[in-house]
Amino acid sequence: MNAAWLPLVVALPLLASALTAVAPWRVVRLVLLLGTPLATAVVGVWLIGIHRETPVFATNVGGFPVGIAIPFVSDTLSAVLLAVTGIATFVVLLFALRTGEDRLRFFPALVLMLIAGVNGAFLTGDIFNLFVFVEVMLLPSYALLAMSGTWRRLGVGRLFLVVNLVTSSVFLVGIALLYAAAGTVNLAALVGRGDDPKVAFGAAVVLFALVVKAGAVPVHGWLPRAYPATSATVMALFGSLHSKVALVAVYRITAVVFAENPVLLPAVVGLVVLSVIVGAWSSIGENTMRRILSFQIVSSNGHILIAVALLSLAGYRGGLLYLVHSVLTLGALVLASGAVEQTYGTGHLVRLADLLRREKALAWIVGLALISLVGFPPSAGFIGKAALVVASAAATPWVAAVIIGSVIVASILSLVAMQRLWHDVFWGPKMTVYRSRLPAAVRSDESKDDLVPLPDSVRIPTLDLVPAGLMLVLSLAMFFGAGPTWDIATRAAQGLVDLGPYVEAVRGR
Amino acid sequence: MILALTIGVLVAGGTYLLLQRSLVRIAFGVGVLSHAVNLFLLTSGVPAYRGEPLANRMDPATAADPLPQAFVLTAIVITLAVTVILLALAVVGRNDDTMRMPESGEERDR
Repeated sequence: MNAAWLPLVVALPLLASALTAVAPWRVVRLVLLLGTPLATAVVGVWLIGIHRETPVFATNVGGFPVGIAIPFVSDTLSAVLLAVTGIATFVVLLFALRTGEDRLRFFPALVLMLIAGVNGAFLTGDIFNLFVFVEVMLLPSYALLAMSGTWRRLGVGRLFLVVNLVTSSVFLVGIALLYAAAGTVNLAALVGRGDDPKVAFGAAVVLFALVVKAGAVPVHGWLPRAYPATSATVMALFGSLHSKVALVAVYRITAVVFAENPVLLPAVVGLVVLSVIVGAWSSIGENTMRRILSFQIVSSNGHILIAVALLSLAGYRGGLLYLVHSVLTLGALVLASGAVEQTYGTGHLVRLADLLRREKALAWIVGLALISLVGFPPSAGFIGKAALVVASAAATPWVAAVIIGSVIVASILSLVAMQRLWHDVFWGPKMTVYRSRLPAAVRSDESKDDLVPLPDSVRIPTLDLVPAGLMLVLSLAMFFGAGPTWDIATRAAQGLVDLGPYVEAVRGR
Repeated sequence: MILALTIGVLVAGGTYLLLQRSLVRIAFGVGVLSHAVNLFLLTSGVPAYRGEPLANRMDPATAADPLPQAFVLTAIVITLAVTVILLALAVVGRNDDTMRMPESGEERDR
């Protein structure tokens, strides 16, 4: 494998994006829209295989000399994420076909641009270039957010946009500080520089900006407001891509700059405890399915950040397993709620009831995914949580006690929240009215709030449930294939702990 | 000193504008704030005037650091794109406010 091909992983989605923007044939747009994430996933899986022999390879884009050039680096971590986000995006786009969002003008082009930004952010070895790719990822997101969903998206779109813009400014300030102190923003040249307090401060500002973009308490406020206001498709897309890109960048920068230097430990432990508990606690009080899930995303971000407190091989492995679990499980749940909204017109807990009798397949999917979210076997959540708790146990006693304690408290709180969701949506008295998707002219009655009697024949079409089901099957596969996934996660974490091959690949022999 | 003061004034003005309700003012605030950040990026090289950074022609000891300039250039382009989106969103909302549901063609809360 010639490393010089790596930039194509970014360039081809961008090219596809441009093509879909102008192509007048729906077939071409569809093929590009679905083919690109699938191809990304295939490349990811292929790279995982290659990295079994060569742990890291890199290319300096444009052939500039080392140190000035922008390197593209591929290791097991980036390969795993390419594979996982590629598959997740593909499944979410299958749901977009069902909701008809793929027919919106520029939807395919924007999604493909988003994929290009995500792939670039995983592969780049330069912090300023990371900033650029994060912006490439966010710019189409602003448009996607304003494209579909309820009218509230316009208000929260502003919130999402302004929060991200101010955070980008903070990100740039951090890059300036880092450059002024270290003279470079190349990750391979920053290895172990965190002992210098000036460099550490610059890196900390960059990490802060990334944590805001990921959405962790106390800087999470935008996430649970923005995500539920968009359509389920866009929420699933953002939930499985945006925060994960930011969190993986946090992993990478912490591992490179700070190695095992615990200077950020108190701040990170604070973030973890707050995110894990506040996210789970807040999800108890919400009143729609997707709002509950958006707080669960915040909570899962907290779990993923545990690795940054531990800074150990086991910690990164646990964090990575949890990250993959969170993409798949939360993706399944968001897509399942999307399917409910598609048919019953609402995701409000008070308006839904008794779906267990009507929707057997949905009940299976949601039930198993909820079990996974809380962390019971047989599910990916169990593997992720177990790996994190075992890794935390090896840390200094107070850190171990605080982290494991908050994970347990959060699991119990999540269990309560999930029981409430299950109880309100799947049990209870028979549903008598629902909000039909049919326009008012077609319907017989003219009730003001367009709630109409629910015929007994209304069912969620099976095809609407296929994407959620696929996500869940992948999540279950992660549990039953725990051996191989564990090995891959170990190799990925190894690349973060042992930076020798990374530096060697980027800077030459 | 002048640079530090300028950055301070720009950040203060940008923050004030960001806290306004109107999205157009927020757009201006983002613009001002990004100017502050761009100046800050420039100071991370050598803030004093230096020669053009042309390899082979200029002595590296007197040439400016090209990287912060490249950073600023990229940041300016991104800010431009984002400002366009901000202004577009300002037009989409009715009366510069989205607290109530617009009357036509929007989907209800679900």
